[in-house]
This record gives sequence, structure tokens and C-alpha cells, in this order.
Amino acid sequence: MRIEPDQMWGYFEWLIFKLGLVQGVLVAVALALLGFVVCYLVSMARYGPSEGFYNVTRVIYELIARDLPGTSWRRIYALGRLAFQEAIRRRVLVVMAVFIVGILFAGWFLDPSSDNVARLYISFVMTGTSYLVLLLGLFLSCFSLPNDVKSKTIQTITTKPVRSTEIVLGRILGFSAVGTVLLAGMGLLSYQFVTRGIRHQHEVKDLADDGLSGSTTYDSKHQHTFEVLQDANGNWVGTTDEQKGHRHEVLVTEVDGKKVFTLGEPEGLLSARIPVFGKLQMTDRAGNLGGGLNVGYESEYQKYIEGNSLMSAIWTFDDIRPSRFNGGDQLPLELSLKAFRTFKGDIVTGVQGEIILKNPNGRVESERRGFVVKEFAVDHIEIPRKLSGSRDGQPTEVDIFDDLVSEDGQIQIVIRCKDAGQYFGMAQPDVYLRAGDSTFGWNMFKGFLGIWMQMILIICLGVMFSTFLSGPVAMVATMTCLLLGFFGNLALDVATGDNPGGGPIESLIRMPLQTGAMVELDLGNKPLESVIKGIDQGIMYTLVSVFQAIPRFGQFNTADFVASGFNISGSLVARHLTMTIAYFVLASLISYFFLKTRELAAA
Amino acid sequence: MSASPVAEAAQSASPDTASDIVIETRNLGKIYRDFWGRKKVAALKSLDIEVKKGEIFGLLGPNGSGKSTTIKLIQGLLFPTSGRAFVFGKDARDVTKNERIGYLPEESYLYKFLNAEETLDFYGRLFDMPSEVRRERSDQLIKMVGLTHARRRQLKEYSKGMTRRIGLAQALINEPDLLILDEPTTGMDPIGSREMKDLIVRLRDEGKTILMCSHQLADVQDVCDRVAILHQGELRELGRVDSLLKVRDVTEVHAKGLSDATKQKIADLIRAEGGEVVSLDNPTTTMEELFLDIVQDDRPGQRPTSNS
Repeated sequence: MRIEPDQMWGYFEWLIFKLGLVQGVLVAVALALLGFVVCYLVSMARYGPSEGFYNVTRVIYELIARDLPGTSWRRIYALGRLAFQEAIRRRVLVVMAVFIVGILFAGWFLDPSSDNVARLYISFVMTGTSYLVLLLGLFLSCFSLPNDVKSKTIQTITTKPVRSTEIVLGRILGFSAVGTVLLAGMGLLSYQFVTRGIRHQHEVKDLADDGLSGSTTYDSKHQHTFEVLQDANGNWVGTTDEQKGHRHEVLVTEVDGKKVFTLGEPEGLLSARIPVFGKLQMTDRAGNLGGGLNVGYESEYQKYIEGNSLMSAIWTFDDIRPSRFNGGDQLPLELSLKAFRTFKGDIVTGVQGEIILKNPNGRVESERRGFVVKEFAVDHIEIPRKLSGSRDGQPTEVDIFDDLVSEDGQIQIVIRCKDAGQYFGMAQPDVYLRAGDSTFGWNMFKGFLGIWMQMILIICLGVMFSTFLSGPVAMVATMTCLLLGFFGNLALDVATGDNPGGGPIESLIRMPLQTGAMVELDLGNKPLESVIKGIDQGIMYTLVSVFQAIPRFGQFNTADFVASGFNISGSLVARHLTMTIAYFVLASLISYFFLKTRELAAA
Repeated sequence: MSASPVAEAAQSASPDTASDIVIETRNLGKIYRDFWGRKKVAALKSLDIEVKKGEIFGLLGPNGSGKSTTIKLIQGLLFPTSGRAFVFGKDARDVTKNERIGYLPEESYLYKFLNAEETLDFYGRLFDMPSEVRRERSDQLIKMVGLTHARRRQLKEYSKGMTRRIGLAQALINEPDLLILDEPTTGMDPIGSREMKDLIVRLRDEGKTILMCSHQLADVQDVCDRVAILHQGELRELGRVDSLLKVRDVTEVHAKGLSDATKQKIADLIRAEGGEVVSLDNPTTTMEELFLDIVQDDRPGQRPTSNS
């Protein structure tokens, strides 16, 4: 997985500079206006222009002046508890049973020989959980109110001093509570499943003649080799080699003068890396800023540098202090670069590159450090604090934090490709400094929080639709939102015209004519073409506006972070929480208006 | 209708708050429409009634006469097509009026997965009552409606009569000043029915106002002070029960211990005075009376099998 640039934004950066707040307010205002106009038109059709207007304003007035101040937590609690009890009565616990059965047998089907077992296990549980919980939220929220209206139990509620706000909030909160309980249970089970699933142990199988290296037994479809060395204090220490993304510690004990080796738990499988991202600039073949090649359409912002030329990629990192990197004995750097080959080259050694650390003042830099690109994996490089380098062209020993970091805390890392005719591809998030790790459990919790927020959104939407639609129709409506939310980017690409082939009418014409999507539409009639394009523009503009208002469920899905071992940043969680709250408020308001203006006893 | 919310707010408090009119409808009408807004049926046509404090007011009429529509309009469950309804001087759509109303729907639309205690506790919460008050009130009411033995049973196991009782209990949870009863005695056996009627009268005597609708004519006759008779959505008759039912040209005499000869003499006397003897006979008791005499103390719900 690659972290998208927008996922690196800080919370306030997003809220204020990236217009999260402005967009939210715009959507809210647009919806409010649209809602008012639609309600007025409906009311006008029914009651006439002046009384219709009076009715609409009265409902708004009542919300502000009576129903909001009169809303009581005790009633919300009572209604929420009722929703909870109702859900339990409708046997939602079956979902839990399905989940348990699922993970009981999942072990049979998850391939332990996979290169990234942890990723497989985590993706499985998180995907499974989110499908189950989202479906549960969908069914619970869409059918409850319509059922109550149908069975007329709603009449004993609304003849009490119950505000419409309370009915809506009670429903949303009650179902959310059910979902939360289930999700918490599933989360705990998932955590157990993942940690137990990847746990395995090796024994020492073969020992070399020197008695200091050897290989392990073949367990969980892999085996390691290992080597032990004596450290400064005379203790024997060692680790195995890395296989399938993990190592084991080798513990050496001496019994009767003979060394006995035992291997520890797998290390490095469940991580939550906290990346420090920098800003990327590239130089062109002449060494001037602003370079970077495109080798074909892959990603909007991934660019390539050519080997054995002056092209280089320069990352500038901010706020570099020893305290951010575990005291600063080393600077841990992680790379996931792409290699683009114009010839096969030496396939054994791979494409070579070099790393140089530079002080942005240009006076101090480190020696070149060679590396071989590791494709399709994360390469972890520990750069020691003291290294040889040069100051003003004079060779000397340099200290990363004292010499290479500038006074305002910046350091530059330059990457070049050494092999002529080969290219390195990279984007901003591909090279980062690893500022310690968060714990895996906490990260997984944040991942589940993402699922939780999606569930809350589904419940809000479901309750909202169920205030004016019948159960099945409300479900279809919520489903549509869910699908549009998940595949919103595709839909948005179609709507904004980023996808070639034109709008709905144009593409309808292209199909029978079998015109390629990249060719300009040519009907031999210019005015007709512009009419078609004009209508398409209108349709697509409307679609874009609609999509903007639908929550992007995909965005809330942070399971990939957990599976790929990236820490989910607090600002990302805060951002998602803010959006969830915004949609919750919005859905509650819309639900209120629908419920308030609905004749609940009508046949 | 007035033209602004402010004026409306002022007006909603206007109609006779000081006097003792509890419910007032003005030109109240309801037309049911289909999805396209086409007129389906006029369920109620310009109804004007006033229910005064401390009386039992009956709405009488055959099926489809607009009784339930009236009751739903008064509670704000339906919105009027024309006219307005006021309860305690507030517009029928104002939920705060519900603080003082108890409502027993036609069938007790309660949550079947709750038991009696939970049901009352739930509705108590909806009145924002603190927990001690709720507990005290529900104990009292469960005892009053005679469901002590079944208080922990889920309502789905209740018989129809028991459901009516718990429905009544939930209507009384807030000690309402106005009780709206939709067919209060349907589904009840004669004892239950009599108890219900006794209770209605007792509540009236405590100063509460009761609006009930029924097509059980006997019930209405037994308890109501005033009735409105609706037919096809129109008000056909409105007045005190005793005066409505009084047959002005017939005289009724009740006497005891008369011999046949004396009865004959009375008949002769009536004829001699130019009157007409319609009937002169021993009275029969009503079936209800007879039934109640026989099963006096064998109350439902107190059968030995049904302890929980």
C-alpha cells in the first residue's frame, strides 16, 4: 500500500487549508437550501403558496424553539435501549456466531506460505468484520422504523411527549450501541486470531562445523538460517535471516560447556510504523530542480529518475531531532522504490542506487552509500549516527544530528540510480524516516475504529431513509449510497469527465458507433454535438454535486494501514471522526424533518 | 390558519385556557389522499366539538364513521386537511400537550418483547420521570390492573384482555388529566369490561377528563356523560346521554310486590285515562348482570396455573 498525500495532512491542515471545513459548510448550506426549496415545493403543492411557506418555516421554528430545547437524554436513552433490545430480539447475535464460525475455519484457507502472512490474516479479519458489521447496520437501521409504523407501535410513542429528535437519536444511538458491542467482540477475536495465527516457532536443525551458524527446521512453510556473534560484553547474540517479513531472535545458553540455541517468537510481522514523510523534489539530467520522467501512465505523481545521470530525487525532512528516533543512535530509513528496466541487466545483483545525506545549507554531506533496490517490498536501512562525509569539500567524520541537520531541523536525503539505462520510480510517500513504532494492538484498534465509523454512517443513512421510505426501499437507498461511497472515485471520475469517452449520452452514442473512447466525437453535425455535450455537462455536474454529499466510505477504510504495518495517524482518525460527526448531525436533521412532517398514523 | 410561526405560537395558547374546555375542534376535517394527491375519501367533515373538564365524552359511530380519525387528529398523529384541533389550549401537533394525556390505542400497540414492568418503565422514561417515581407508579398500576402475577412475562404471552390491561396501565403512567380511550372494552371479558367501565367512572370522579370512542353502545350508554354520534364523517348528534335517550311519551313505573289483580287494575286505569299500555311485565335482567352474578369472584388472571 502507498499512503496517499492527502492521508499525510495534519488535522488542522485538512480542516482549514485543505478546505475540509469549507467543503463541509458548503455541502451543508447547499443541502439546507435544496431541502428548503424541495420542502416548500411539496408543501406548496399540497397547501398552497402562503400556507406552504408557513408550514415549512413552522417546522424549522419548532426544531429550534421547541424540540431541540425540549430534547431529553432520558427519553433518548429509553428509545435507544428499546432499539438495542429490539435488535437483540431480532437475533443479531447470529452475526457474531457467523463470524466465529468464519474464523474457526479460516485457518484452513489462509495460505501460510504467502509472502506476507500478517497482511493476509489482518486483511481477512478486517474485511470480514466490516462486511458483517456494515450489513448488520444496514438491516437494523432500515427496517426498524418502518416496522414500528406498520405495527403501529410508533403510535404509543408519539402520543407521549417524545420529540422527533429523540426518536431519531434514540434509534441511531441504540443501533450504534448494538454494532459497537458486536464490533468490540469481533475486534478482540480478530486480534487473537491474528496474533495466534502468525505465531510459530522453529527448532535448530543443522549446525555448521564452527558451531556458530546453522539453519532452522521447516515450519509454517519456511525456514531460516542464523548466525551468532559475541558482543562487547562477551555474550553470544544473534538473529535469523529474514524470511516472509520476519526474523527470530536466537538465544544462546551454555549447558555443560556446550552452546544450546533456542529461537524466539517471530519479530517484525505485526508492526505499526510511524513514518515521517518529507517533501520530494527531483532534478533533471542537467541537475536542475523540476525533473522527473514519466514512463507511462501509472500514477499521477509517481515519477522516474534515470540511472547514471545527474537526475536525482531529493527528499527534505522537517523537524529532525534525536528524541524522535529513539535517542538517535541511528536514523532508520525505509524505501519502497520501483525499478524500470530498459534492458535486463544483471538480474542477480539488481539495480543499484546510492543514498547521500545532505545538510540543506549545502556545506556538509555524507559519503555515498550504495544499495540494491528491493522491489515490491520495503527496504529498511539503518544509517548510523556517525558516518564519514565531507565538510566544505574536506573529508571528515560527520554526525547526522549535529552536522547534517540544519539549524531549522531539516535534512535532505538524495537518491540516485547508478545503473545506466535503468530507472528508479518513486513518489512522495515511498521514502520516509521511521520514527519509532506504535503498538500493533493500538493500530488495529484504530483500524477497527474506521470500520466503526463506517457502521455509524450506514446506521445514520439507514435511519434517515427509513423515516420516509418503507423498509426494503430504504435498504436499497442506503445500499446505493454505500456502493457510491465505496466506488465514489470511479463515479467521480466518470462524472468529472476524467474517464475518457464523454458523459452518459455521448457514451451511449459511441457504443453503437464503436468509436474509440480517445477519439473526438464526430457526428458530422457540430451543433448537435455541442447540444449533446451540453446536456452531458449538466448531468455530470449534477452527479458530481450528489457524489460530493455522499460519504466516501472507502476513505474511512484504514484496514490497509493495519495490514501493511503503517500506523494510522491521529490526525487521520480525528479527520474521519469529524466527518462522521458531521454526517451524523446532517442525517439526524434530515430525519427529523421527515419524521416531523409525516403522518405516522396514516394507513 | 395564521401566517407566521410567531402568530401561531400566540394563538396556540389562546382558545379558552382559563375555562375548562379540554379538547376543542374547529371545523376539523380530514381527507385521505393517495400518493398522487388525489382525493380518496373524506374521513371527517368539519367537526366542531368541545370536551369539558371532568366529563366522559363518547364518540359513537359505526366502522368508518371517522371516530378513530378524530382521535388521531386530536393527538397529532394525523394532520388535518382543514380546521384545527386544540388540546389544553395547545395545537394538536404540539408534543408538549402529551405530558398530560394518556392514550389507550384501539389495539394495544406495545412492544411484545418487553414484560409488564419493562413496558411501564419504558413509557415512564418517555415522560422523563425519575426512576423512583417510575418504579412506584408501575407497581401501583400493575396492581391496579391486576397483572401482579404476570409482571415479568413478555407481552407476547399475554391474552388479549391482559394486553388491554397493560395498555391501560401505560396510558395512566403519567397520571394524565385527559385520557383518550380507543375502544376501551374490546377484547375484554364482561368482568374486565365492567372493571374498565368502573375505572373510567372513578377516574372521572377524580376530576380527569375522558374521551372514548366505541361502537359498543351499551358501554357508551353506561359511562358517558355526553356523546357525539358520527356517521360517514359527519356529526349527526351531540348531547347528554340521558337527554338523548329519554323517550318523552313513554312512562316507566317500577314497583314491587304487586298481585296480578293489582296489575290488571293499573292497566285498566291507564286505558280509562286514555293512555295505551305498551307492556306490563316482569323485568328481565341484562345478560351482563346475570353473568357477573354467576362469576363474581372468579377473576381472570388469578387462576392457579398462571403464576410466574
